Amino acid sequence: MKQNEGKIGIKEYVAIISLAIGTKLSDDTPTIIFENARNAGWIVVLLMGLMAFIPVILLIKVFSAHKGKDLHEVIIHIFGRFFGTIISILLLVAGVASIIADTGIYVDIIGTMYFTKTPPSIIYVMLMLVCAYGAKRGIEQIGTVAWVLLPYLKITLFIAILVSLNAGHFDYIFPILGEGSMEILKASAKNVSIFSDLFFIGLIAPLVTSFKDFKKGTLLGLVLVTLEISLAMVTFVMIFDYTTAEMLSYPFHETIRYIQIGFLQNVETLFFPFWLVATFIRFSFYLYISAVLLAGILKINEFEYLIPLITTLIILIGIAPDSPSIVLFNMRQNLLMLISPVFLFLPPLMWLIAKIRGDFKNGTVQETN
Amino acid sequence: MGQFKKLTKISIMTFIILSLTGCWDKKELDQKAYVIGIGLDTHEKEGKIKVTYLVANPEVGSQQSGGGSTESPEEIISLVADDFISSRNTANTVISKEISYDLLNVIIVSEELARKPDFIRVIYSATKDREIKRTTELVITKERAEKFILNNNPFLETRPHKFFEFMISRGEETGMIPNTDLNGFFQVAESDADLFLGIYASTEKEKDKDIASDDDFMAGEVRFGGKTNDTQFSGSAVFKEGIMIGKITGEETRISSLLDNTWEVADFMTTFKDPFDERYRISARVIKQRKNRYDFKQRNGKAIVDIRVPVYIEILSDPSMVNYAKNKEKVDELKKSMKKTMEEHLTQYIKYTQEELKGDTFHLSVPIRKWFWTLQEFRDFDWMKSYPDAEINVNVDIRFGEFGRQTKLPQLEEVRD
Repeated sequence: MKQNEGKIGIKEYVAIISLAIGTKLSDDTPTIIFENARNAGWIVVLLMGLMAFIPVILLIKVFSAHKGKDLHEVIIHIFGRFFGTIISILLLVAGVASIIADTGIYVDIIGTMYFTKTPPSIIYVMLMLVCAYGAKRGIEQIGTVAWVLLPYLKITLFIAILVSLNAGHFDYIFPILGEGSMEILKASAKNVSIFSDLFFIGLIAPLVTSFKDFKKGTLLGLVLVTLEISLAMVTFVMIFDYTTAEMLSYPFHETIRYIQIGFLQNVETLFFPFWLVATFIRFSFYLYISAVLLAGILKINEFEYLIPLITTLIILIGIAPDSPSIVLFNMRQNLLMLISPVFLFLPPLMWLIAKIRGDFKNGTVQETN
Repeated sequence: MGQFKKLTKISIMTFIILSLTGCWDKKELDQKAYVIGIGLDTHEKEGKIKVTYLVANPEVGSQQSGGGSTESPEEIISLVADDFISSRNTANTVISKEISYDLLNVIIVSEELARKPDFIRVIYSATKDREIKRTTELVITKERAEKFILNNNPFLETRPHKFFEFMISRGEETGMIPNTDLNGFFQVAESDADLFLGIYASTEKEKDKDIASDDDFMAGEVRFGGKTNDTQFSGSAVFKEGIMIGKITGEETRISSLLDNTWEVADFMTTFKDPFDERYRISARVIKQRKNRYDFKQRNGKAIVDIRVPVYIEILSDPSMVNYAKNKEKVDELKKSMKKTMEEHLTQYIKYTQEELKGDTFHLSVPIRKWFWTLQEFRDFDWMKSYPDAEINVNVDIRFGEFGRQTKLPQLEEVRD
């Protein structure tokens, strides 16, 4: 029963990117960005998207010389077995830590906003069980589910955004530069790693039907999620103004609690299931790639058997902290800051070494496209 | 082996599907007491407040009971508490069900409490509680909130949630009360540049007040005859930095709405002096179809703001029988006189806010943000401090719409002949 044989097309690939990164607008990522940038948060997101282009393009370049290899194999090839393994282990630790912080935050959202009486540990176990099952089914199924559900998830999101734009006041986004251009740059540099999924997604590079699709899909996904998150940031400021927006823990959920659709009040429960499904797909994908990376490091072929291990680890560490909303928020903030430089500088370094070693010289690679 | 796998799969699936119901947080409808309004009053003890709950009875007025139920449509309970979060449990000594804020519509605060610096501490609990929405309306009452809730006895719309919903949304349509909510209160308090308007209401009638013009009154100042509810919603309570500092009448609230881009008044009827006959007043409907335009300049530290207010007016009466349909000059004359009246009123009101309230009640800081690059510049400029000395010019553009259902009227002389 090897389920990792299947490949995914560009549609599924873009859908996965769009859900894995796009869903970040609904957790506390906006709050982290608002903290420095205030009402210029939307500019920060656009800027981060631009910044992320450099590592992403260089990464694609590196992959162009190593078609059919995944990220871990490429890293081993470039840095050598010893250093490559160390780098991969560090990446895995950072990745798993991010998943722990993210899932913890999502459990906190569900616990504080929707199911107040259910113990967080139960919510955590449920969430991770579903995601672990999704991850075990393999990338092909994750991709298919993502692509099938994408329209529903995005349409509901955009209904929420449109209604909010109607309820908000456009003038709140002024003064246009927020706390000043320095702060905008600072916030962008600190949090650019919200796009670091695009680096980890190299782990499934050989599973995309063709290299051309991988390249196109990655760039298209980046543009789409940048615009989407930026629009959401505009929406939050238009409804809450910059003062309140940074005080809210979860702006998206406050927004869907605030809006009314015509005569319908209390519409948050309408959006909640869609948001949950997006969350499931996102974490299924995360679990999948961390299992692939771990399998690569340990040279195990059957990566599916690692998923229960990783899931258990995540649940155990995730439940541990006291006052999760505060601890995890700080943890996420620091993680984003830590991973940002890695995300910005590792791909260029890989590209440079590959260049020096002459990986690009074999004829199969078109350097200019 | 295969069978064992299948069994495991099926049991996991069953477990996941059963958990979808979310039974842990299940609450039957009849196990909850839905609070529609919370009343907040001062209490003589330091740090305590008096909380009044207006609990709706969902069985009254629903189809199933067939109107045959003799239960009262509402239950009112007052208690002394530290805040309105912990008071939920205290209330359970009297109320048999779990108290829920899911359908909370209004928070009613007495003027006495709203004028205290402590008020902001009390009201900020609303941002913490999961069930309280930021769309909740903030109503300020002249008397104690408890008394207001007790005295409020609507004759026709007895169900409290409907009463408050209709009363407030209709009042906002006519512009007699401000279109604001808790979200606006927090936003204005936190950005500290404008003044916030809260809805003003009362059930106590003023005895010796004579209303000068037809809209220039506060809640409780209109003397209605007949047999109806005593509750009146009119005018606004003005908040500065989260403390109530004054109140403005219904007419002033309407003027405020004309200057404000963030809120639209749908049905604004008023009267103007008839330029052709001093004794009469012309009824007109004022509609703001387009947004105001603002222009902002700074000249040696003094702010100059030009506001252009485009209005669309329908003339609904013609008491001096001028017969506008045939008379282009008279229409122009009427337009001129109306423009003059409106600009006078607006300028007068702005002057009043500058001198008395020392802040603007119509979110003027929001459009002028455009002229600043960064928040730091905007904060240094400090709109709250600059506003009283700012020079504000108002310009009203009037476009006429209909002149009533029939535009022509008979000549007065001919009728009397």
